[in-house]
Amino acid sequence: MAQHVEGSRLGAAALLHSRQGVRTGIAVAVLIALASGAYLLHQTPGRGAPASFSLLTGVVLGLLFERGRFCFFCIFNDLIEQRNSGPFYAVLAALAAGGVGYAIVFGAFMPNAGAGRLPPAAHIGPVSWALVAAGIAFGLGMALSGACISGHLYRLGEGYSRAPIALFGSLLGFGVGFYTWNTLYLGIIAGAPTPWLPAWLGYGGALAVHLTVLAVLALLLLRRIPEQAARPAQRITPAHVRDAVLKERWRPLITGGLVGLTGTFAYLRVEPLGVTAQLGSISRTTLDHTGWLPERLNGLDTLAGCATAVVQTITNNGWLVSGLILASFAAALLSNRFSPSPLTARNSATALLGGVLMGWGAMTALGCTVGTLLSGISAFALSGWVFALAVFAGVWLGIRLRLHAL
Amino acid sequence: MNSHKPQLLVIVAALITLLITTGCANVQPVAAESPAGAQANAAPAADPVDAPEVNAATEASPVGFENVVVSTEWLAENLDNPAVRVIEVSVIPGVYERGHIPGAVNFVWHTDFVDTISRDIVSATRLQELARDAGINDDSTVVLYGDNNNWFAAWGAWVFKLYGAPDVRILDGGRAKWEAEGRELAVAAPTVEPGDFTASGANANLRAHLADVRQIVEGDVDAALIDIRSPAEYEGTIFAPEGFQELAVRAGHIPTAVNVPWAQAVNEDGSFKSVEELRDLYASVGVDGSRPVVVYCRIGERASHTWFVLSQILGYDAKLYDGSWTEWGNTVGVPIENPAGTIWGAQ
Repeated sequence: MAQHVEGSRLGAAALLHSRQGVRTGIAVAVLIALASGAYLLHQTPGRGAPASFSLLTGVVLGLLFERGRFCFFCIFNDLIEQRNSGPFYAVLAALAAGGVGYAIVFGAFMPNAGAGRLPPAAHIGPVSWALVAAGIAFGLGMALSGACISGHLYRLGEGYSRAPIALFGSLLGFGVGFYTWNTLYLGIIAGAPTPWLPAWLGYGGALAVHLTVLAVLALLLLRRIPEQAARPAQRITPAHVRDAVLKERWRPLITGGLVGLTGTFAYLRVEPLGVTAQLGSISRTTLDHTGWLPERLNGLDTLAGCATAVVQTITNNGWLVSGLILASFAAALLSNRFSPSPLTARNSATALLGGVLMGWGAMTALGCTVGTLLSGISAFALSGWVFALAVFAGVWLGIRLRLHAL
Repeated sequence: MNSHKPQLLVIVAALITLLITTGCANVQPVAAESPAGAQANAAPAADPVDAPEVNAATEASPVGFENVVVSTEWLAENLDNPAVRVIEVSVIPGVYERGHIPGAVNFVWHTDFVDTISRDIVSATRLQELARDAGINDDSTVVLYGDNNNWFAAWGAWVFKLYGAPDVRILDGGRAKWEAEGRELAVAAPTVEPGDFTASGANANLRAHLADVRQIVEGDVDAALIDIRSPAEYEGTIFAPEGFQELAVRAGHIPTAVNVPWAQAVNEDGSFKSVEELRDLYASVGVDGSRPVVVYCRIGERASHTWFVLSQILGYDAKLYDGSWTEWGNTVGVPIENPAGTIWGAQ
């Protein structure tokens, strides 16, 4: 595992660490508050089911990400540096389950894949060199800051002190992205194709290709799974279940499969999973108020992805992100993994810079590892695969340059 | 420390959460109060596709309110009626797909109801093709509804009427009212048998072009003009509401036009006001059906809502000027009234 700075825990955190009753109490209170919040949102005019559903989706993601440690940087780093492909199967499982789910939903939403239209709001973006650059920048930012944006969001709930700095950096990065957008759009993105597999192969064909690629990757990575310790025969007792659910890291295939399922439900009911729309909107709104935003962001609002907007309220995506952070906090308390790490000038600076790179990348790519990579590949978008390869290359480069150890 | 305590707490919490969430799922939104009880549209007719019952409201409206507007109750009862074809025209992508009135087909206003190259409405050939794919026959009752107060559903109704569809109706209160009443929604797109709808040539009596409007302004033709935009747009204080991209380089309104914002024609829940109220509303600005009327807005879509009220509900001789302010306010040499005196580009 990467970047978990072990250090002396301070005051309240140390107390929290040793008092199981207090931890459990707080965690339960947070979960009850989230459930009540979802209920209240559902009753609120103008919010209703989409906001409520988004908050609950965030809760599910927070639990899954924390319990399964679904952190793209950690997973990539395990593969690249530790030569352990085990955790990577969570990503493959998420993409496989997501692909099956999206094919089912697409079939209902838009029975004719070849009609020349794209399914509504799915994260199918233009493929261009701007997307590649964005992915590499995003990957470098992950290595520098120790996690991707969704990783920082759930690790914020674990008390990872660099997370707020990296997330603040990503807000700045989004601002930079808005500045470079018009140039990139007019020069590169506007003319780029938006390849979508089902338009040529139909949903069945696209899903077959999708699952074949994932199966080949899964087979190739088998040899990088470390030897498994033999497990003694044992009865499953309630205590085992408790430990499996609340203490041990959830297995990659379970975590990934559930992430893919959650992504499908999110697309069916509200919008594709993503975690940067609200962040980007905060940047865009702030810049708009200060008058620093370019007056016209060409074409931006016509492209599918983690769409930013000038908003005065919390969007559905904002509820999702809130649920994610708080549920991760509750999960971290229950498994006693809440441990604030010490901050130094150096690790703060790298977190900030990494955040800026990720913000720029997520703005330019119209999403991050969740929105563009997970939701994009699940939707059979070539843009998702291109972004994934570029991010992986960025992380690989970052690790080779020892950016993660700065 | 007793390790069973937290376990118990977790279980209790899980149960509470379950209770709350299932409770949440069971809560039905309170159905909106039935609009204007006296209104004819509130009464579910057994099979109004055939001759509707004549009552006070239908007498008051020359075309018969429920011949052109259907209530949510009526539609709910007629979902399986093969003579009824339902079309959703919503602006926000994904709204139709995530749940529509069962059996409704999807029309996208910016590709299905307008020409995608020149600024014009969709061609007769293309509309006929789309309508047939949607299972619409010449004798179908076409019911349109959508988000955004039925604006684009009304645009669709105008296009269908323009191309000769005989029986076109709007769902009163649109998608919002259907949802607020907690009515059934379906996710899967319906499979329909192709229809035999034949589009006629465009009916010139329903559409006004720039030259027609100019004749009214210059007094060559006796007709009323209604501007249905906000008072600030009408006065010329602003060029367009915030956030809208399509602009004119001049502010104000077409000379002789009176200002009746579209929303005055609907109740709080988005349903149409009663025939009497609507007649009084437009009579108060001198539009009483005794002479033709032309309506316009900024790009033509909101005005189609008022066109529907005047032409279809009240039975007046009404045309939609779909060029609207983005054509008039950009055209060189046409007269303009600009009470606010706003000048393009001036600080």
